[in-house]
Amino acid sequence: MSSNSLTLAPAPPSEAAERVRAEVRDFLAAELAAGSFTTHVDTWLSGVDPAFSKKLGERGWLGMTWPKKYGGHERSAMERYAVTEELLAAGAPVAAHWIADRQSGPNLLTYGTEKQRQEILPRIAAGECFFVIGMSEPDSGSDLASIRTRAARNADGDWVVNGAKVWTSNAHTSHYGIVLVRTAPSDPAHRHAGMSQLLVDLSLPGITVNPIRILDGGHHFNEVVFDDVVVPGDMLLGEEGNGWHQVTAELAFERSGPERFLSTYPLVAEFARRVAVTGDPAGQATLGRISARLLALRQMSLRIAAALDRGELPNIPAALVKDVGTTFEGDVIEEIRRVVDVTPSLDSPDPLGRALAEAQLHAPGYTLRGGTNEILRGIVARGLGLR
Amino acid sequence: MSDQDLVVETVRDILSGFEPFVLTAQRPWDAGLWGALAEAGLTGVGLPEEQGGSGGELADAVAIVRTLAAGAAAVPAAEQLLVAGPALVAADLALPPVEEPLTFAVGEAVTVHASDDGDGPGRFTLTGTVADVAWSGAATHLAVLAAGAAGAVLALADVSGIDVTTAVNLAGEPRGSLVLEDVAATGALLTPVQVEELKARFALARAVQLAAGLEQVLAWTVQYAGERVQFGRPLGKFQAIQMELAEMAGEVTAVTALTDAAVQALGRGSDDVVLAAAAAKVRAGAAVEVVARLAHQVHGAIGFTQEHKLHHLTRRLWSWRDEAGSELYWSRVLAQGLLAGGADGLWPALTRVV
Repeated sequence: MSSNSLTLAPAPPSEAAERVRAEVRDFLAAELAAGSFTTHVDTWLSGVDPAFSKKLGERGWLGMTWPKKYGGHERSAMERYAVTEELLAAGAPVAAHWIADRQSGPNLLTYGTEKQRQEILPRIAAGECFFVIGMSEPDSGSDLASIRTRAARNADGDWVVNGAKVWTSNAHTSHYGIVLVRTAPSDPAHRHAGMSQLLVDLSLPGITVNPIRILDGGHHFNEVVFDDVVVPGDMLLGEEGNGWHQVTAELAFERSGPERFLSTYPLVAEFARRVAVTGDPAGQATLGRISARLLALRQMSLRIAAALDRGELPNIPAALVKDVGTTFEGDVIEEIRRVVDVTPSLDSPDPLGRALAEAQLHAPGYTLRGGTNEILRGIVARGLGLR
Repeated sequence: MSDQDLVVETVRDILSGFEPFVLTAQRPWDAGLWGALAEAGLTGVGLPEEQGGSGGELADAVAIVRTLAAGAAAVPAAEQLLVAGPALVAADLALPPVEEPLTFAVGEAVTVHASDDGDGPGRFTLTGTVADVAWSGAATHLAVLAAGAAGAVLALADVSGIDVTTAVNLAGEPRGSLVLEDVAATGALLTPVQVEELKARFALARAVQLAAGLEQVLAWTVQYAGERVQFGRPLGKFQAIQMELAEMAGEVTAVTALTDAAVQALGRGSDDVVLAAAAAKVRAGAAVEVVARLAHQVHGAIGFTQEHKLHHLTRRLWSWRDEAGSELYWSRVLAQGLLAGGADGLWPALTRVV
């Protein structure tokens, strides 16, 4: 069921979510004390740590909402929400498994064959199998329907893939991609027809992964080139020609979670430490304004988690959360720098200076990834009945 | 249909007979609307029947205040149903008749003295000036948070015969001062926590009004963009306008989600109600800048006139966001409260407040 309403019902309180929240908090405190990770901004993009992901899998905090027969834990979206927001707030290294747990797994659950589910889902839930998103291309950003990567059946019934995907986060550390391809020529009258999703093992011959460095020099993005890559015929995900619909369904998961407003929370936490020490009234006012915005975003995102638990796919509210949330992620940088006398630098001896630098150099990405805010506002405009 | 839907429908029926108007010194509030609401028993909703109220839940009272706010109704419903009424009940003070408009003010410059009128404890006299009294001149009763020798006192006085200075907010709603000289009052001592919670109630009442006003302004603007044709098509078909309306929708949705959560916190008697209310008030106030600005931008010149209805709400939004405690005040209260357990307690506090 898809919900086109902008406003969702309030999320009911969840005791189970609060219980698992406390467990995650204890775990994170112990990990921080043991030095197993250090806090950073935007760690769901940049914090790749397979060992940490495995620990989360061992504790049952990946694949939380999935059926037990696929390695899941049959817990609610509200419980998963609590786990993910605790990890993000701590700036923990969650990037390795993030895409697989957030959207590839749910996508496989909905559209995968029994064999695909049994082979892959338990490994994702164990924190041992990581995924990339194969949507954007060099000539196809916001206009996703213009993709040109194509797949054609060969005589053996396998798929031969040619083309390239870009901005492919952590392709160099991941195992699979769900790749959106054209399986029929583009038809100007039906732009969204003729696309399919393939489940692609990234170690297949013919795949080249080229690093693309972002502003701080970090290697998270890649270009993934497919040169006559033979993908087994049974690795089609869902229905041939149904790719656009499947991609759209993925987006409710991709757009609504707490990572859409908590990417810069570690900066806020560092700022709060400063304000607690100085008692600066301007700093307090700023922290109050930031906190009010964050509290509102939590409520919006929680409502979506509750809607997912009701079996809805609230695409329009999800677009709204992502627009408001990612705008907030960037705004906190300006709000904070106006009231602190700190120079941002990745080499700063001051943790606030480092957090400001990390947040600033990652900032352009917040309002681009997962659908630009302009695209999102177009979706919201549709929800308002304007399109 | 929920109980609140029925209440909302009743209020809307009544409102349909009372169009918003430009408030003036001659006609500073909508006495006719108030009378109709009182006759329908709506001015006592959420207040116990044994004290002269109409019974019902906080959610019912909130639904009434929201509907009236969206209709730019010039009546002290938020003050009576969400602030003064419940505060008097909580302090075990007798309510004035719910048909008579009751307002609330923080009177830090008002001192209370135990009365020697021989009527026993709980009788006080009030002296000093109360500024920024909502619906001054219209309200016949004032619940005022005043300073007593032993601490803050919530006092209730009949102010129907007292002169008020003429002052209005940006929407023309009366916000004058009352000079009190030995005015007889009933009253009850409040603890410091109760004082903070009462101020928070006031702020939350304004947040509820803001949320409703913001939603209505968005709805009006979407409707206008669908009707107004330029360059051969409705404004709403232009991407630039769509971006603005979507931005407004984001703000409105954020405010509604947080305000609802803060009302629930109040309803369940949360220990964090002050912080929840502070956050709702700050967030709603911040949304006003975006929503009112873009609403006027989309409406163009007609929205900048008194001929069009838009100003009935945008001027109220600009007023309400700075009433019942400014954005500066509540943002600092929020930050200090969130940091009360130390800076490392910020995140646990954020996940606890609402």
